[in-house]
Formats: sequence, structure tokens, C-alpha cells
Amino acid sequence: MELEDLLKKQFGFTSFKTGQKEVISALLNKQHTLAMLPTGTGKSLCYQLPGYIFEGQIVIVSPLLSLMQDQVEQMKQYGEKRVVALNSFLSQEERGNVLAFLDRYKFIFISPEMLMSPYIIQKLKNISISLFVVDEAHCISQWGYDFRPDYSKLGEVRKTLGNPLTLALTATATSKVREDIIRSLGLNGVKKIESTIDRPNIGFFVEQIADYRQKEDRVLELVAQLQKPGIIYFSSKKAAEQMADLLSEQQICRASVYHGGLDQDTRILIQQQFIYGQLDVICATSAFGMGVNKENIRFVIHFHMPMQLESYLQEIGRAGRDGEPSIAILLYSPGDELLPLQLAEGELPSESQIDWLFNLLENEGESVNGGRKLSETWRELGGFSEVQWRIVEEFVTRLGQQNKNLCSIRNEIKEFAKRRGQAKKESIFKMKSWIDINTCRRKFILHYFDDPFTSEINQCCDRCGLQLEPYHSFKKSPQKETIDISWKEYLQKLLINGVLNK
Amino acid sequence: MVQLTSIILYCLKQLSKERTVYSIYHLLNGKKSSQTIQDAHLFSLKKFFGVLSPLSRDSYDSMIRTLQEQGYIINHGEQRFLLTSSGESFLNKHPILNELNGWEYHQITWPFWERLSLLIQVASNIVHQEKCYIPIQKNKDVHQWVKTVLKEMKVPKYDLGRMIYQELIACFEHNKTLDPSVLVFRLTGFQQIGLTPMQTAQKLSMNHFDYQLQFINIIHYMIRKIAEKPEQFPILSLLQQELRQQHELTQSSRKTWQLLIQGYSLEAIARLRKLRESTIEDHLVEIALYVNHFSIDPYVEQKLQEEILAVSRRIASRQLKLIKDQVNKASYFQIRLVLAKYGGS
Repeated sequence: MELEDLLKKQFGFTSFKTGQKEVISALLNKQHTLAMLPTGTGKSLCYQLPGYIFEGQIVIVSPLLSLMQDQVEQMKQYGEKRVVALNSFLSQEERGNVLAFLDRYKFIFISPEMLMSPYIIQKLKNISISLFVVDEAHCISQWGYDFRPDYSKLGEVRKTLGNPLTLALTATATSKVREDIIRSLGLNGVKKIESTIDRPNIGFFVEQIADYRQKEDRVLELVAQLQKPGIIYFSSKKAAEQMADLLSEQQICRASVYHGGLDQDTRILIQQQFIYGQLDVICATSAFGMGVNKENIRFVIHFHMPMQLESYLQEIGRAGRDGEPSIAILLYSPGDELLPLQLAEGELPSESQIDWLFNLLENEGESVNGGRKLSETWRELGGFSEVQWRIVEEFVTRLGQQNKNLCSIRNEIKEFAKRRGQAKKESIFKMKSWIDINTCRRKFILHYFDDPFTSEINQCCDRCGLQLEPYHSFKKSPQKETIDISWKEYLQKLLINGVLNK
Repeated sequence: MVQLTSIILYCLKQLSKERTVYSIYHLLNGKKSSQTIQDAHLFSLKKFFGVLSPLSRDSYDSMIRTLQEQGYIINHGEQRFLLTSSGESFLNKHPILNELNGWEYHQITWPFWERLSLLIQVASNIVHQEKCYIPIQKNKDVHQWVKTVLKEMKVPKYDLGRMIYQELIACFEHNKTLDPSVLVFRLTGFQQIGLTPMQTAQKLSMNHFDYQLQFINIIHYMIRKIAEKPEQFPILSLLQQELRQQHELTQSSRKTWQLLIQGYSLEAIARLRKLRESTIEDHLVEIALYVNHFSIDPYVEQKLQEEILAVSRRIASRQLKLIKDQVNKASYFQIRLVLAKYGGS
């Protein structure tokens, strides 16, 4: 069967999106593949489709639990039942059941920490893995913006599993990071498919605003003018909440807030309301967007600057998946870079925190050899955040197993924190210089990712003369639902199909 | 915050300075501690058990401050509060929600809602012949339940929506004082996503806490109504299948209870479980609350039981200290046992 026929049969699409066919062909030729495809171009299809050709199982390593759940659900929604997610959401019992009959599944999603369990590795060795997929592969690299220590061990895992055919997927990685991915996974003869990260239908617009208050006013104004739906990103939950309240109170549009602090039920409802068009605007932190498949998002506004160009690109990439003109607006006020700098600092253990912990360990004559667990009390006493603590724990466990002494572990953590801190700062300054440049913003980004793509784009960026008017809404912005239906009518609408009844 | 104010005032009145104001906090939160469970029984506050969970200490503190500022309660020292006359009249003017039944239903409230909302989403999509949608409930047990129900149901699938609709209407019609909006607008169906609690409260211009109480109130009403006449609600009564409350001892008390039936003494259980005797005593008090056939006679002589009860009635107090002053030969443990066994009624 031709690939296109399979695509039609399994997924109902008539043609491939950029890069998909190349990736799939390379995999069918049994070539390890590194694919950098822009966000929203259906990366998951690259391993799903081969799943219908290859005999054995497809194992997909995915770093974000929520994303994993979304992917599994979407596959189920489209009729693929042989899919499972192995992660900490499963109860002991459920996990036992899944592992006992692992070969019944075709697509096995797994979190990196699950792969650290020798028991699970043993189970995986017993099935025949026809494709090993590393999603969000940039997490492997220390130079990547989202480095995860457990990802750096995936090369070893891959080796233990007998070097299966491998697909590394990422949306945004500089060439340095891409090299890191290949080296870390130990891939030979890699086929690299690097489609352009450019999204020509998304225009860039940066606006300098004097201060916070005026920024708020400007957002209200923009949202009233622009075509909706849209997303506004914030670095703080509180700011997101305030803006959602303002937008609703002033009846500018139907808006709601979304962040990790909300309970799961609320998050699901808000996300679905947005997808089904019951909300015009979401005021969100970066927790929002993964797994949100909505084609017609017309604008993405950044109220705060993101910590790096990579995540900026991911976030604006949620706009315009239908190919229609869309706009990415970033609002900058002097001093805005301080917030990300602060956030970055909070993600790494400080020199004094490390010293405090290791002095304590030394004084108490504690040995960490053999990979001993650190006490939770120390985390609290030392004021370590969760992210900070994860890093410390990872080092202590790994180096402790190698029987290194406390002194050298201390130095290695310090060295690591320093290096990562530096890398994060550089990313922030890179982001800042993108805000400051006087030349084409699109070219700057393409150059940053060593993307050779060049074409003339009409609505490129503010530096190339882009104006916001074309993105304005023709309609008067949709007011709140004025027709209030009664609860009885609502129930009727849900449960009784008017068309069938007549 | 009318509803919540009434409830707090009512609780304070019942406690009449015998407990601190935080015992109400634990009660509303449904804290599974012997103390809270006993208080709920002793002061006849069972129906409020867990109706506002989760409630943060901060919001509770600020509520109490507000009530004080409004002049409904006065501080009696040591975190104890009393109703003022304006508090009394507020309570008279605003009766408490009458369907709340926290103690009986707190464990099945949420599962009932999860099942109801998923069943309606599924039915709605069946009726509209839609197969592609994201289930609004993530709980696997609830998914499994819906699957089983659909399989076993003897109703034609296309008719499911209409039947649920009629049952719901019938159920709500029995009580005109309730506003079904608090529940209905939260339902999700075919291409229509339900509102969050916050959004519903806003839509109905309600305070968030009052909204939550009204929501629980109507769920408890449904549970009661459906259980009373299951034959009138063939589909809705499935929502309660295997959900009936099994009277729940705390886990540790259950262990003690099991050893007790095997004939171990209180002291032996303490040794065996490496727990203090006072802890086992707590368990026994809890057991006395729930297990009807548990006899307290081996621990308190009949005559002493009567004496304790008589004193408690005479001085109109359940405060252990005051009773103890009058019945000196009884231990605190014995007083607690007696009050647990007979004091609630």
C-alpha cells in the first residue's frame, strides 16, 4: 500500500504535512532519524503511521505526564485502543496489569523515570520494540532550554534495549542541541530531517510599553480590536488571573484563566470550552497549550517575555494552525527581563544551599555511597524548591552509586548549577536581544536555529513594516452570550436531539 | 455568604462554647479524626461533615473575622465564640440548607457526581451520534462503570438521553425550593462543555462558598430522592450502584475492631499494635459511635452509664470536664464511651 493510502485509511488525511513523509520513509528504511518539525505539524503521526507497518511495539518516551495523557486520549478518541501510558498516574495494580500483558499494546508511552526501573526495563526487553521514540528530545541536552537529568540516561537505556530503531523528535533545537541529542542517544548514521521552523502565516509584533499598568490597558485594547480566539501568556498566575477578570468584567470577551494551580477538573473544562469556542481568550501560564489542538487561534500575546526563544516559538506556534494569517504580539516594559532572571535562579540550587547541605552531610558523617536517599526534611530546611531538589537528588544518587566522595559530588553540583545558570542567562539575553533588534525578527530567529529557509513574507514583522490593522476583527467583538437559556432548555439541548425528534 | 454564615452560626450555637471554633473548620473539611467524628455526633452536626472540603484555614479564619465584624458572634476567649442576638436573628431569618447530609453521603457525593456527569456526556453524544470526544471525567473506575451500565442497560441507546432527561426533571420537580441550575449548567454534552464551579457561581451571582454548599445540597437531595424510590428512577438509581456508604471507621480503628472481635483486650491490642492505650481508647470511642452492636458494658458498668447520662442531661453539657466533676469515679474514657454510644440521639 502506498503511504498516502495508509494515511487516508488510518487517519483520514489526504496529504502529508511538511516533513512527515520524509521521516516515515527514513524509518521504513530502518534509518535512525532526528526530526525537527515545527509545532503543530503532527509530529505524532511520524511514529503512529509506522506503527501500522512495523510488526512489534512502538515505545514512546515522553517527558510531560499531562502531554502523555493527552496523546493517549487523542489516539483512543480516534479509535486506536492498543495504546497505554506507563507513568506514575497508574496505580500499583494497574501497572501490574499493563506490564503482565505488555505485548497486547501497540503503542507504549512511558515516562523517563519509569525507564530507570530495572524491572520495567526487563519487561521491555521481553517484547520486540520495532521503534524507540524520544519525544521532546531537546530535553536530553544540557544546552537545551528544558534539560532533564533523567533524559540524559536515555542513551544507556537504548543500549540495554538492544539499540532499537530510534526516532528523536523535537520542535525547537539549535544545531548544537541537535548534535547533543545524536551523541547522547548514541545514534549512528542518522538521517536528519530538519524542516524549517518558520511559520509564514504568523506575523511578529513587539511593542514597547512604559509600565505594567499601561500594559494592562494595552492588552484590553488589543483584545477588543483583534480577531479572536487568542491566548495571552503570563509568567505569573496572579497576573493571568487579574487579566482574565478584567476582560470578563469589562465584557470585552469571554475570557478565562488557566494555570497549573487550578484543579484538574477545572483545567479540563477550561481547555475544552476554549476548543469548542465557548471562550474567546485564555489568560494562561506556560502550563497551557500542550496537547491543545485548536486550528483557528488568531493571536498569541505575551504579557511577559518568555525565558528563551525556544519556548517563545512553541507558544506562538499554537496560533494559525489552519494556515490563516495570525499574529504574535510581545509587550515589553523596561526591566521585564528581571522576572525571567529571577525565575531562572529559582530553578537551580544556589551555591549557599549546596554548601549548607553538604556541610550538614559531612558533619553528620553521612555517606551517600550506594545511592542513598536524601531526607525530605533537608529539602525543607534548606529551602530547596522542587526543581532544585530534583537536581540535587539526581546528582547524589548517580554519583553516590559511583562511590564518589561528598567533596567531589559537591563540586560537581556546583559546577553544573553554574554552567546551567549561565546557559539560562544567555538564553534570556538572547530573547532580550530579539526584542531589541532593529532588523527583521523572523530572520533573527531563523538564524538562531541555523535554519536556511528564506522567502519573502508579506506580513513578516514590525521591523519589516507589519501593521496590526489587518488582524483586527471586522465584527464588533462578540459580546457575552446574551440569550440566557433556562436549566431545562440546557438539559434538553444536551439530551434530546431536536433533529431526530422532528 | 448567607448559607455559609447560617451554617457556621448554627454550629457555634450547637457547640455553645464547649469546643473551639476550629472544631467547625475540621467538621466542614470532613477531617477523619476521632475528635471531629465524635463532635459531629455529640453536637448533632453530622449533616455538615465534609460539606465544604477542601476548605483552607486562611479562608475559614477570614470568615470568622467577618462574622465577628458583622456582630453576629463574640469572642469568648480561648478560640471559643458565642452567638450574639443579631446572630440569633440572622439564623432565624436564614434557615440552613435542608438537604445536606454530609455524614451519610460525604463519601459518595463526588463519585455520584463523576458518574452523573460522565453518563450524561456519553448519553448526549450517543443521542447526537458523535463518537469523537474527550471524556470530561478522568477517573478510570468511572469510565468502567459507564461501560458496564451501557452494556447492561435494557434501554435502546437512542432513547437514553430522553429517559435521563425525564428522570432528572421528575427528580427536581419534587422539590421546588431547589434551583437545579447549580448542577445543570456544569454538565457537559455534545459540543457543549459544562461550566466550572467558579463560572457557575458567577453566572448565578452567588458567593463561591454558598455555591459549593448549594451544589452539595442538591446532590444530597438527589441521592436521597433516588434511594427512596428507585423504581421511579430506573437509570438514575444506577448511579448509586455499589456506592452505598459502608460506615467507615478510620483505618486504624478498623484494625482495632477486628482484633476486638477476635477477643483481644484493650491492653493486648495496644501491645500487639505497639500503640498507646489511650490511642486504642480513641478507637473504641469511634467504634462506639458507628458499630451499633458494639457493647460498652465491659468498659463501663450499666449503673455508671446511667449516672453519666443523667449528669450530662442535668447540666446540659457534653463537656467532659464538667461531667467528670460530678461523676468522679468515672474515667474520661468511660465518659466519652457513654456519650459516644448514647449522647448523639
